[in-house]
Amino acid sequence: MLLDQDSAGDKWRIRPDGKEKVTGKLRYLTDMTFPNMLYGRVLRSDYPHARIISIDTLKAKALEGVVSVITHEDIPGLNGFGISNPDQPVFCFDFVRYEGDAIAAVAATTPEIAEEALHLIEVEYDKLPIIDSAEKALLPTAPKLHSNGNILHETDYCRGNTEAVLGKCVCVIEETYETPRQMHTYLETEGGIFVPEKDGRLTVYAPTQHGYKDRMQLGRILGVPDERIRVISSPIGGSFGGKDELNVQPYGALLSLSCGKPVKIHYSRWESVKAGLKRHPMKITMKTGVDANGKVLAHEVTILSDTGAYSTLGGPVLNFATEHAIGPYQIPNVVVKGKAVFTNNGVSGEFRGFGGNQVIFALEGQIDRLAEKLHIDPWELRRRNLRNLNDLGPLGQRVYPTNGAFEVWEAIQRSPLWEKSKQDLESSDRWIQRGIGFSMAMHGSGLGFGIPDPAGGILRLNNKGKIEVAFGHEEFGQGLLGTLEILLLDHFNCEKEDIHIVIGDTDLVPPSGSSTASRTTNMVWQALNRLKPQFLSALYEKVENETGVNRKDLKTGSGGIWTYKNGKKVRVMTYGEVAKLGIEDLEFSTKFHYPVTPDPVMGGHYLYTCTSVAAEVEVNVLTGTVKVVAIDHTVAAGPVINPMGYLGQIEGGSIMALGFTLSEDAVMESSEYITLNLDTYVIPTILDVPRSQSVDAIEKLPDGDPFGPRGVGEVGSVALAPAIVAAVKNATGTWITKLPINKEKLICDLPYLNNEKKVGITHDSGR
Amino acid sequence: MIQEDKFMLVEEKIQYVLNFTLNGEEISIAVHPSRRLVDIIRTDLDLTGTKISCEIGRCGACMVLIDGIPHNSCLTMAYQCEGKEIESIEGIGKNKLDPIQQCFLEEGAFQCGYCTPGMIVSLKGLLNQNKSPNYDEIEQSLAGNLCRCTGYGGINRVIKRLSK
Ligand code: FES
Ligand code: FES
Repeated sequence: MLLDQDSAGDKWRIRPDGKEKVTGKLRYLTDMTFPNMLYGRVLRSDYPHARIISIDTLKAKALEGVVSVITHEDIPGLNGFGISNPDQPVFCFDFVRYEGDAIAAVAATTPEIAEEALHLIEVEYDKLPIIDSAEKALLPTAPKLHSNGNILHETDYCRGNTEAVLGKCVCVIEETYETPRQMHTYLETEGGIFVPEKDGRLTVYAPTQHGYKDRMQLGRILGVPDERIRVISSPIGGSFGGKDELNVQPYGALLSLSCGKPVKIHYSRWESVKAGLKRHPMKITMKTGVDANGKVLAHEVTILSDTGAYSTLGGPVLNFATEHAIGPYQIPNVVVKGKAVFTNNGVSGEFRGFGGNQVIFALEGQIDRLAEKLHIDPWELRRRNLRNLNDLGPLGQRVYPTNGAFEVWEAIQRSPLWEKSKQDLESSDRWIQRGIGFSMAMHGSGLGFGIPDPAGGILRLNNKGKIEVAFGHEEFGQGLLGTLEILLLDHFNCEKEDIHIVIGDTDLVPPSGSSTASRTTNMVWQALNRLKPQFLSALYEKVENETGVNRKDLKTGSGGIWTYKNGKKVRVMTYGEVAKLGIEDLEFSTKFHYPVTPDPVMGGHYLYTCTSVAAEVEVNVLTGTVKVVAIDHTVAAGPVINPMGYLGQIEGGSIMALGFTLSEDAVMESSEYITLNLDTYVIPTILDVPRSQSVDAIEKLPDGDPFGPRGVGEVGSVALAPAIVAAVKNATGTWITKLPINKEKLICDLPYLNNEKKVGITHDSGR
Repeated sequence: MIQEDKFMLVEEKIQYVLNFTLNGEEISIAVHPSRRLVDIIRTDLDLTGTKISCEIGRCGACMVLIDGIPHNSCLTMAYQCEGKEIESIEGIGKNKLDPIQQCFLEEGAFQCGYCTPGMIVSLKGLLNQNKSPNYDEIEQSLAGNLCRCTGYGGINRVIKRLSK
């Protein structure tokens, strides 16, 4: 189904949070203020790598208006954070390992005084040699950034015998691909406000993708039981994985407790760039061999991932990349060896696509290059290697049956770009060359084998007579509230006035796991399916006891519970009337786990979504500018619950991938960022994107599928880069191996500049 | 160094009373003449519909209308606002949603919503000057408004409708 307003019908709904957003009334957490609030600032390192000799805060403390200056000495609990491994110091005391490392924090009565106080903190350093690339981290002479050395995590997956088989292949492609340090660039920079309450508890208003996880991490730092902390974490001005890890929270929390007053911190973009997470830059080498029929026989992969100074999720990202380097293809002989290494280059962490984007760019590039060499249509080559319904997953693990790969392979051929790609693309401007490219991907959702991935929710009638759900998930723009509203209206046939949705507040919601890994839609769908029967039967029993109408004849509906009397629909009780009878017995909760493969393959996924993408480009061969003029997507992710949200995720994820391919790179020189703001870190503007993208949603799931809608938060961002690169190849004859595409390099590599015959300009020669 | 500090302190004390109208309301406020308009609106007047994101005029999240024309409030200083009529998102669709806002709602032209006030202000500014702009003109008017969530999909749908 091509997703749009027409095909969606009445499921195309104005978002519940819409009006507040378009009128500017919505208070984001960084917009909040409290009486007597102080302003917090964090002192960052002067160097990407140094030993700290001394820290002197006396002068800063003496400045009028400064209320508190804190360092590592003022941390009651653990001086560390990190979702998977808390090795990032809240405040450094012996070494600094990246230029965003925090050394002290200040709370003052105005932002100006806080800023001035930072300048008065005296830190003496002994500069150390830096590791500014992943390769350098592995040199025997490299300084050790952590006690265990510079390797955070290694993966090593092997089946068959690639070495022997590659020798016998009729064609082998070996290529190295490089991907950029992409920045999330949420428009709302990190921030929050931290309020010590009269009862001794602390309320944290700060965006995150997992309130309970923040609470746990903060409890550990503050040395207090988790229950003493309340985390309010929605609404959020964008996250994309970037706010899942702690950012301002430790500083705001510690400062506010030390002052006994509310403290607000809101990073400038500059501080956000310096301190915040980025996508892991990876260098991926693939050696892939085929037989004469185009059957891929062997695939060797090495991945070198620059994880920056601290762990956060660098290990799981590498696991994900390892799994996705094999893709939807059935390959008998495979070796994937990955290394995530520590450097002084900022901190890399979670980012939409989670390591898939990088390796899918490489893998699809391999397939296209093999097709070119074999003179087989690249799409046909894919078909010959695609997985079938019941095949094992990429790492040999059992996965829930999926035919998605074949379905998206087929469906993209309905895109108008497919037909167009078979024709010669003429251009009216002699400097513009046009091309169309295709790619596909399979993307795992959930956290994967071996990682706790709990879910849960509550459904109740609240005391105001509303059907209420509570989930520990977050709204960062993706449309969770809209999805929940649609699900509830669907289940209970009621009006939006009859429901109430609670999210993003650890005092009010149950633990539901993180809002990451494309898992949320699936988790809330499953939770409601579990809760609904119990809730309805308790509700109907109560109404029957009160009114005598047989429970079998009751149905929830607009404003209350209805029945048919003499063929006429009548309301038996309003929800409010039921609530007055008592609500204690009308609350139900559920806890369960994200579906996981039964096979013990660390990080291996069980549920997959698939996508294929077509992209058309115009390359200006005078300037090297690549303009993407059309993008069509197909996505196989099960039923569409929230069409506006689904479409938005694919459109938005796709343009994020367009930036990854064409313009985005947080450039570092000697481990220091030189792209400090949005003037030099360039995300796509409205002029850089196609005016529309089509999204063909394939809703069919294998018969008897119990898991329902898969999430689509990431899948739109994983497969566009290789499609653009294939289109550029078809336009110019040049293969790109490094992203973002460098304009100078692109024109210098143009075949005709080197007096070679231009190849690949017509589509046929490329496929 | 010490000289400079002293100079700074003297400077900080310079205050003047800025008079302007904001969303139709007359405002008189004592501020430093170089205080940024975005701080006056967001911090001093606590109107937080105007957002802040890059502070260098690149993202458009802080867009307001000054005498009807879109300006980045992060690049506008207090003294430049003297006697001006300023409109922030709070002034648009005050009583009834503006058709632009309605379009944003219906087309799904936002997700996190952080860029949205700026987008709507820019469009409002264009429509103030040009009652029936074409697609290209509307698109151009949003060239200074970044959105990270939507990929401009819904925003393009809004443009389509507004250019009809
Ligand atoms: S905050 Fe003013 S343009 Fe970005
Ligand atoms: S909706 Fe999030 S930045 Fe535009």
